[in-house]
Amino acid sequence: MKVDSGRVPPERSFMRKPTTGLLLLSAALVIWQLFSWTGVLPLRKIPSPVQVVSALYMLTFQGLPPEYLLHGHVLASLVRVFGGFFFAAVTAIPLGILMGWNRPLRIVVTPFVEILRPIPPLAWIPIAILWFGIGIKSAAFIIFLGVFFPILLNTVSGVLSADVRLIEAAKVLGAKPPQILLKVLTQGALPSVFTGVRIGLGVGWMTLVAAEFTGVKNGYGLGYLIMIARDIQRADAIVAGMIVIGLVGYSIDGVVKRLERRLLEWM
Amino acid sequence: MVIKKLLAALTGILIGAGLLWGTALGAGAVRIGYLQSDLHQLAVFVALEKGFFLEEGVDVTIGGIFKAGPEEMTAFASGGLDVGYVGEAPAVVAVGNKAADVKIVGQANLEGSAIVVRKGSGIKTVKNLVGKTVAVPGYAQVQDFLLRKALAQNNIPAKSVNVIILRPPEMIPALESKQVDAFVAWEPYPAKAVSSQIGEVLLYSGKIWPNHPCCVVVAEAAYLKDNPKVIKGFLRAHVKATRFIQENPEEAVKLGVKFTGMDAETVKIGMGNIAYRYKIDRKGLLEYVNFLRTMGVIKVSDPEGFVQELVDESGLGEGPS
Repeated sequence: MKVDSGRVPPERSFMRKPTTGLLLLSAALVIWQLFSWTGVLPLRKIPSPVQVVSALYMLTFQGLPPEYLLHGHVLASLVRVFGGFFFAAVTAIPLGILMGWNRPLRIVVTPFVEILRPIPPLAWIPIAILWFGIGIKSAAFIIFLGVFFPILLNTVSGVLSADVRLIEAAKVLGAKPPQILLKVLTQGALPSVFTGVRIGLGVGWMTLVAAEFTGVKNGYGLGYLIMIARDIQRADAIVAGMIVIGLVGYSIDGVVKRLERRLLEWM
Repeated sequence: MVIKKLLAALTGILIGAGLLWGTALGAGAVRIGYLQSDLHQLAVFVALEKGFFLEEGVDVTIGGIFKAGPEEMTAFASGGLDVGYVGEAPAVVAVGNKAADVKIVGQANLEGSAIVVRKGSGIKTVKNLVGKTVAVPGYAQVQDFLLRKALAQNNIPAKSVNVIILRPPEMIPALESKQVDAFVAWEPYPAKAVSSQIGEVLLYSGKIWPNHPCCVVVAEAAYLKDNPKVIKGFLRAHVKATRFIQENPEEAVKLGVKFTGMDAETVKIGMGNIAYRYKIDRKGLLEYVNFLRTMGVIKVSDPEGFVQELVDESGLGEGPS
């Protein structure tokens, strides 16, 4: 099974042309604002872009709760996501390579993976709080669960899709099994691993916000920020928080893509 | 032909689903909301269990049971509720920020919250809370207010205490596992912490602010305008239930056990901390409005006018509170 690395050739992606994307976005914002002004979109249900921008200003310079500034919320969320991601990556990638390499191991582990994988990370929240309490550890655990399986599955399929001729050639040239594992299979699986990393980080970022809804200890986090905004019934601040989450998620994906392109240039 | 049959079947399914949906929503009935296991709001459960709403000719259906007031106010904003039992602060915040349009039509209770600390934590006074982590059910709502007031009374800056938000059902486990050093919650959670030997009460809310108003009955403004008779009937049932609790404490405890799923001892301790009243306390309401203004949570230029606008007592009958 060949898993596509998910890389879109630059010329086919219209988002690569910043002007087109920006134009479309601004047009959408103008229409949104017009709808708000004319009352087609009632302000009680959805704030106008102008309100959202002023809420962003408030979040950035005054903070919510007061003095808890936006960059602190972003930073706290990033720390949680990358904490969970780190543990998921260092466990899922080696396990995935071993599973791809060793058939008996794959047969033994696969049923467990298949049962655990469909459980939404959010269903683990009560257990996570029980095991790790409120705070970074349980949030990181929830994110770990979201990140682990995409990386694992993509790594396994990456190893399995390694070119048989390359393995044969390596054998002919006198390579030992550990060398084949490290040089041929692992490197051959890299594009697929990167796909797993990108999907995993995306899922992790989505999971984070909900994980923070259960409570955080230091008063920071984008999910927590949204909960506070809901507590005081400020839809403009809620939407502003959502937009920040979207932008940060988009940036993370962009960084990973760039990293992938640079690291896999030789392929 | 096949397409026609398919279309007919599809239409049938859609109509059936629509009917089911309509029945599930309890078409025509008053959609009510209240907080999960909140002993302050026992009157709603008493009225449901004793059939007081039906006696007063009001058909009610549960529109939602919520973990905290802000969630319930969001349900009002989305048009999912007609009448609700909720804390005074979330109601003021929602109206002040134009998120939901409701009127306060009756009081549910006075007092009934407490600051609870872990047993053996060594916290003996409010001053000992400095540097500790304290959980409240929501930002800028009743218990958050009570905590800030208690701190202010002891000249402690709010910033010197680490306040975090936890929904009350999660508070006792958090206290036990030392995630937090104290919490402020509505009854029966303080009582439960005491009866399960995990916590002890540092301060009852009646000591922070005597006779402070807490939960109220709110009605969606448009619904109230269109259905004044229904709201009157609803409030008659509410008054009846409130009096029933005042006059039949033992049976009220039994109903409280059923409502909260907690043991009789806990419910009894909890109810001892609550004054069940239905007359609206405007002065106390004004204090909430002013507090929320100074916190910067709502922007209201004329607090007295705001209160005047927010309260509608016309549905409540005369008589002692």
